[in-house]
Amino acid sequence: MQTVTIKVNGEAFKESVPERLLLVDFLRERLALTGTHVACTHEGVCGACTVHLDGDAVKSCLMLAVQADGHEITTVEGLAKGDELTALQKAFREEHGLQCGFCTPGILMNMTDFLKHNPNPTDDEIRMGLIGNLCRCTGYVHIVRAVRTAAKMLAASAA
Amino acid sequence: MFPANIEQYVRPQSVAEALAACAGYDAGEAMFIAGGQSLMQAMKSRMARPRCLIDLQAISELKGICPDEGAFHIGAMTRYVSIANDERLTGYFAALRDAAQHVGDRQVRNRGTIGGSCCWNYVASCLPAVVMGLGGEMKLQAADGSQRSVAAEDFLIAPLETARADDEMLLAIRIPQPAGRGGSAYKKWGLVKDALPVVGVCVAVTLDSNDRCATARVTLAGLSAGAHRATAAEQALVGTAGDAAAIAQAFDAAANAADAQGDKWADVAYRQNLIRTLGQEVATSAFARAAGRQE
Repeated sequence: MQTVTIKVNGEAFKESVPERLLLVDFLRERLALTGTHVACTHEGVCGACTVHLDGDAVKSCLMLAVQADGHEITTVEGLAKGDELTALQKAFREEHGLQCGFCTPGILMNMTDFLKHNPNPTDDEIRMGLIGNLCRCTGYVHIVRAVRTAAKMLAASAA
Repeated sequence: MFPANIEQYVRPQSVAEALAACAGYDAGEAMFIAGGQSLMQAMKSRMARPRCLIDLQAISELKGICPDEGAFHIGAMTRYVSIANDERLTGYFAALRDAAQHVGDRQVRNRGTIGGSCCWNYVASCLPAVVMGLGGEMKLQAADGSQRSVAAEDFLIAPLETARADDEMLLAIRIPQPAGRGGSAYKKWGLVKDALPVVGVCVAVTLDSNDRCATARVTLAGLSAGAHRATAAEQALVGTAGDAAAIAQAFDAAANAADAQGDKWADVAYRQNLIRTLGQEVATSAFARAAGRQE
């Protein structure tokens, strides 16, 4: 066991964890932050467990909780401020960017990071950015549209 | 899936501290973890069961890309995303970006490292083939503090096998600047976009003063031998002007000489065809970059 201090969505958590505990299981089972999903039984291929590690989108099933000691994690629960959704969240609602919604938290986390680096993406760039997130309902058309809409909303609010 | 029990997790601050952490463990019981994008999968499937995990994330001297008298020194813990975005890697070094930009997906590129990829040396992976193709030198440090440099083709022995000893660490990869004007390129074909290569081809050429090919290195990724040189194509390219006919002939030779094995994804003829078509595309691009032509 090892004691770790991990800041999650702005709040520091000090916990004693087994070395082999995955970060995704730490978030879901210790902190009850169940917005971070597990779809591919932890194989690292579906992207549903994507969170931010010091701002970068990473798969939380491909790292251990002890590796996050001293770092800042943001999960999907950390995006909205109270009832105020982010532009990307609003765009997903407006454009019907989800059907069953299971993959959505991972996509929101990945695309939040993506739009920071590429605020005015083409559809091709959005699709390339989504390679690490599997959606088995939508065919991605509405997801791509939602990301494009979010980029426009962010550009309009920055102007 | 989750890993087998791990008795100890350490996060050393220096290379010496990391190597010292191996002491007291038998070979293979203590493992270094870089970005963990392969090792974590191996640990979760219980293919790897380290008793001690030595996390290299805090060792700053292992990170970054530094120009070094025309060559580039790339720290072992440099992430794919840093290589993919480094606009200094042009001409002879451009294949590094070609490969890094298409490894896995954004999330993997945000964490995976060039050193981790080369030390893992998976049978179907991009960076080992590119590092070998560019004639990279692997800088290693042993537990007693001694350092050695190993050519990438001697380091990358076979899939999942390298010349690194268990208590030895990869510090950096040095990509030398060749004499003359150089250009390189890499491209792969996978089952889905940016997937592991079914076949990947790296070509690095230099030109003489008459725009003839002075040296050529060609490596293949994805075949059962792992990253390896395609000498038939290299020999066929040297002395040519890099014209379409010469390139086509070189990759016919590479495809015919390749020890390709079929599987349910791609039979032998298909793999040979991939070597031809990718090779022609990549070599054309490498020659254009060497000559400084716009693509």
